[in-house]
Amino acid sequence: MPHDDLSRATAAARDAYRDTTRLIRLLSVLGEPADPEELVERTVAVLSEVFFTEIVAVAHHAGGRMLAIASCGLAEDDPAIRDGWPAGPPAVETLAAGELVTRAGCLDGEVPAFAVPLGIRSAAWVPLSTEPGTENLLILLRRSPAAFTHSEQHMLRSVAARLQLAVEERERAIVLEQLARYGHLLARHLELEPLLDEAVEMLRQLTSADQAWVVTLDGGQGVLRAHRGLSEADVAGWPRLAGTVDTWRPAAMAVPAEAGGTVLRVPVLRDGALVAVLFTARARRRPFAPGAAELTAIFANHLAVAMVNAELYDTLQQRATEDPLTGLANRVLVGQHLDRALAGDATARVGLLFCDLDRFKAVNDLLGHEAGDELLQQVARRLRGSVRPADLLARFGGDEFVIVLHAVRDLSEVAEVGRRVSRALDARFRLRGERVRVSASIGGVLGVPGQTTASAMLRDADAAMYVAKERGLGQVEVFDEVASHQALDRLDLRSELSHALDRGELEVHYQPIEELDTGQVVAFEALLRWHHPRHGAVPPEVFVPLAEDTGAVVPIGTWVLDQACRQLAGWRSEPGGASLAISVNLAAAQLRQTAAAQQILGVIDAAGLDPADVWLEVTEHSFLSQEVSEAAEVLSAAGVHFALDDFGTAYSSLSYLQRFPIELLKIDLSFVGGMTRRERDRDIVRAILAIAESLELAAVGEGVETEQQRAALLAMGCRLGQGHLLSPPIPAAAAARYLRASVAARPVPAG
Amino acid sequence: MTEADKDRARAGVGTSTSPSATGAGRAAASAAVAGLAGEPAALVLVFGSVRYHLPDLLAGVRDVVGEVPLAGATSSGHFHNGEVTPPGRGVAVLALAAGPYRFGVGSVAGLRDDPHGAGRALARAAKRAAGADLGPHAAMVVLSDGLVGRQQDLLAGIYKVAGAAVPVVGGAAGDDRLIRSTSVFHDDLVLTGGAVGIWISSPWPLPVTVGHGWQPVGVPLLVTEVDGPVVHEIDGRPAAEVVREMSRPGGYAHDERRGWRPGWMRRAGKCTAHAFGLIEPDGSRLIRGFFRGRDGLVRTLVPLPTYAPIQIMSCEPDDMLEVVRPVVAGATAGRDPSAVLAFSCVARLDLLGERSGEEAALVHGAAGGATTFGFYTYGEFARTTSIAGYHNAALAALAL
Repeated sequence: MPHDDLSRATAAARDAYRDTTRLIRLLSVLGEPADPEELVERTVAVLSEVFFTEIVAVAHHAGGRMLAIASCGLAEDDPAIRDGWPAGPPAVETLAAGELVTRAGCLDGEVPAFAVPLGIRSAAWVPLSTEPGTENLLILLRRSPAAFTHSEQHMLRSVAARLQLAVEERERAIVLEQLARYGHLLARHLELEPLLDEAVEMLRQLTSADQAWVVTLDGGQGVLRAHRGLSEADVAGWPRLAGTVDTWRPAAMAVPAEAGGTVLRVPVLRDGALVAVLFTARARRRPFAPGAAELTAIFANHLAVAMVNAELYDTLQQRATEDPLTGLANRVLVGQHLDRALAGDATARVGLLFCDLDRFKAVNDLLGHEAGDELLQQVARRLRGSVRPADLLARFGGDEFVIVLHAVRDLSEVAEVGRRVSRALDARFRLRGERVRVSASIGGVLGVPGQTTASAMLRDADAAMYVAKERGLGQVEVFDEVASHQALDRLDLRSELSHALDRGELEVHYQPIEELDTGQVVAFEALLRWHHPRHGAVPPEVFVPLAEDTGAVVPIGTWVLDQACRQLAGWRSEPGGASLAISVNLAAAQLRQTAAAQQILGVIDAAGLDPADVWLEVTEHSFLSQEVSEAAEVLSAAGVHFALDDFGTAYSSLSYLQRFPIELLKIDLSFVGGMTRRERDRDIVRAILAIAESLELAAVGEGVETEQQRAALLAMGCRLGQGHLLSPPIPAAAAARYLRASVAARPVPAG
Repeated sequence: MTEADKDRARAGVGTSTSPSATGAGRAAASAAVAGLAGEPAALVLVFGSVRYHLPDLLAGVRDVVGEVPLAGATSSGHFHNGEVTPPGRGVAVLALAAGPYRFGVGSVAGLRDDPHGAGRALARAAKRAAGADLGPHAAMVVLSDGLVGRQQDLLAGIYKVAGAAVPVVGGAAGDDRLIRSTSVFHDDLVLTGGAVGIWISSPWPLPVTVGHGWQPVGVPLLVTEVDGPVVHEIDGRPAAEVVREMSRPGGYAHDERRGWRPGWMRRAGKCTAHAFGLIEPDGSRLIRGFFRGRDGLVRTLVPLPTYAPIQIMSCEPDDMLEVVRPVVAGATAGRDPSAVLAFSCVARLDLLGERSGEEAALVHGAAGGATTFGFYTYGEFARTTSIAGYHNAALAALAL
């Protein structure tokens, strides 16, 4: 072969190989795992290398300027990186035609000013997308005078298209991944403000935006609830009319030089109705990828779910002070209200009426629970009409109502209001086509701030009510101080309680806590019973507050813990007893003792148990003080578990849950009881279970009385329960038999 | 100082082969400083053998030069003003007065873990050290640990910060061919796994030039399978077979200048006379040395990219020496420099064998009376066009 031919063939082969290598280098960089920014950065670097080009940039066109998305060959402090550069004739031509443009030779006025000192002699402008309206260009500027060849141009077109796709794909993949990883975390916020705040931050990150904000819509008003990247001026002027929310833009975006900014608007819908709008904005240079709207819509769904949770939680908190059936205040609020009133002006007098409906049980039995509920609602309406607006009317529980009267003169005024209340019930109630007559036994007391306590007033008014009830239907009885004492003496439980332990009148009963699906007993809750020689069985609701009041709860509590621990040690050898735990109620007073934790651990140890075998049940009230928290920390560190009793009935505050080493929530029986009848109770149980799940706590449904309740709890993911459906609290011997029976009844797992 | 001297950075050079590290450092530095004729030094460059206890060597130099910014590297021999100090012998020191230039020295560690990040940090540190109100032009001299890979990534990091307008020259440190441990110097610090950079701000452009003189001895080939340093396949065939064919005595290869001629293989020093030429987009070739291990596999010191187009290259001493004048002339660019910095591959020293002194002499001859100073490297930096600029078996230069 002649030498020239061979040289030409060699050169051709070399060019072909060079092109192959270029393509392979570019394809591999586009295929490597990297986030979009890194991908573009790497690609421009490879382009610089394989096209022997000094400057390579991907830039966005906005307002007559090119703004660099990524660049290779520009010094990092070059003003062009920060401010961009005027789009010269070739860039404008490329954008208008959507087609690649090249120039070679003298390029004065054609290349950006920053490239002039480099002596650029050949350049190419490549649209990143052939879609109409594309604003992104790939720009190559090289010193070599060689014009970009056809094959180079062809390659650049494919690279640009792939670059655009890859950027879009990567952005999408990253956002999807982030959504999957973090979207559900929104649900852990149970209060709206922190939820919206995190949502805005998350949205800003997901969309790589410069600004993000959220507006909630309510009653025709848009309220800016959380924001990132907005100026002070932007934040002023809210709330504004809901109709103007969509078109509002942050001040920074109105600057003409940066008019390239784009805003993405994402509606947050709840049951098809618009409740909030999320906004995410890129102030300049980078438009959102086409898939961004879709992805942010998914994000908005996450937010909508979390907002529902937050609302349920809000309901739950209201529920803590509100009776859901009647909308009246509840027992908790009465306590708080009385406490406040009794801490006030010592010259003012506080009146209290305790009303208990007569024969309410008969109505319930005759017409059913639902009619009973309806009656309570009607009674509530009548009572509301009979008290002054400043007085507090509350449903105390069951068929009991309490009225706190402010600024009363004397006991006779209390009695007068009592009679007025009684008269309000005179007219018959219309119930399910029946006309029903209901009256109330009413007890009243007068309290002097600084001299009495809320619990004493409630106790005395309750005693007065009992005296009224003994006198017949619809009676009103008021106690002065002497009468109160007499009433107490009559019952005398207070003093007798302190001897009950010595006299052997106390006994511990056990109620199984079971796996709701298998029936396996996981623990027994130890429950105290008092057999009074004259009064017979005194209900715990009566004597437990007395014990707490008198301090008897400390020795009694220790005794119960000791009994229960020894009992569990005894059951260890029984079938099913090996992994059994014991759950014991613990009063705050017990934890307030000096060396409380050491003493409790001593009792557990003396019984031969491991601290981890013991669950201590506390109520939310008990962990208000620092010393209690400290004792609990010690116990928890030793392995003792803590369960929160009656969850949902008091503050239901998450901060307590975080501060106190709680591992298990017990869902109050009032919710479990209502859940198969009332949507609201079911929502609350669901919210409590969501809280438990997000905080990784176990949950036990209390007061499971029907098969439907058991099934409903299971369906909502509540694994554990206790209640009369399974077994009432029973003596130790019966509990042992129950345990054996439950083991025998359980199918033996195959294999 | 004469009017003409204002535009020149005065340079002084000194060497020592004293066995005492401190003594050698002091002696070389003293001679270098003496060459400045009383002008204060603004930059000190040190190239030294790993035979020395390096902190003592630097301490000796600093005893003489004080707090003047110092940069340097371990070498596999070095050269100055036409003279060669072979590997393992001694130390050479260059002292530069500022003249019209401003110097800033910075250094980084962590070259192995994140070379791109290290490159960015290096450029920023060196530029910062040069101070504010810099001249309109700049160049960077970079010296790096010669035994870490991914030197190109280091350059890419520098490019990201400094941009296309700042050419980069320099070399990867050597260790007298021991391939054990190389270091760079910054003031009194000895860094392994790091790099030191000098930002040179200048009133005029400072071109960086490079050349190797190797000639292709075959048709273009495509590397089709690579695993790190091992080249398994070329053009879909076992690499060892292709390499053997191309370089077989009596076999035929194509020489672009002479047409077909018998292939040849020659051993000079410790390297083969054949290498891969990585075909660059502009048709030039980056040299990548290869060797055949005992296992018969073909290995390169710098991994080749998969699907790289290559040609087998070979060289004769004349080829290598032919490029020296154009490289130096390109760097001086018609100016009358006071110093020429040159970085030559240790492979060139080996391949030139008994003619090894000729390269240093040619550099000095082409420099028109300027002080010439350089060392034998484990790889040369010459970033002139585009982001790429890591060379092997080449000579790179910069004139000040």
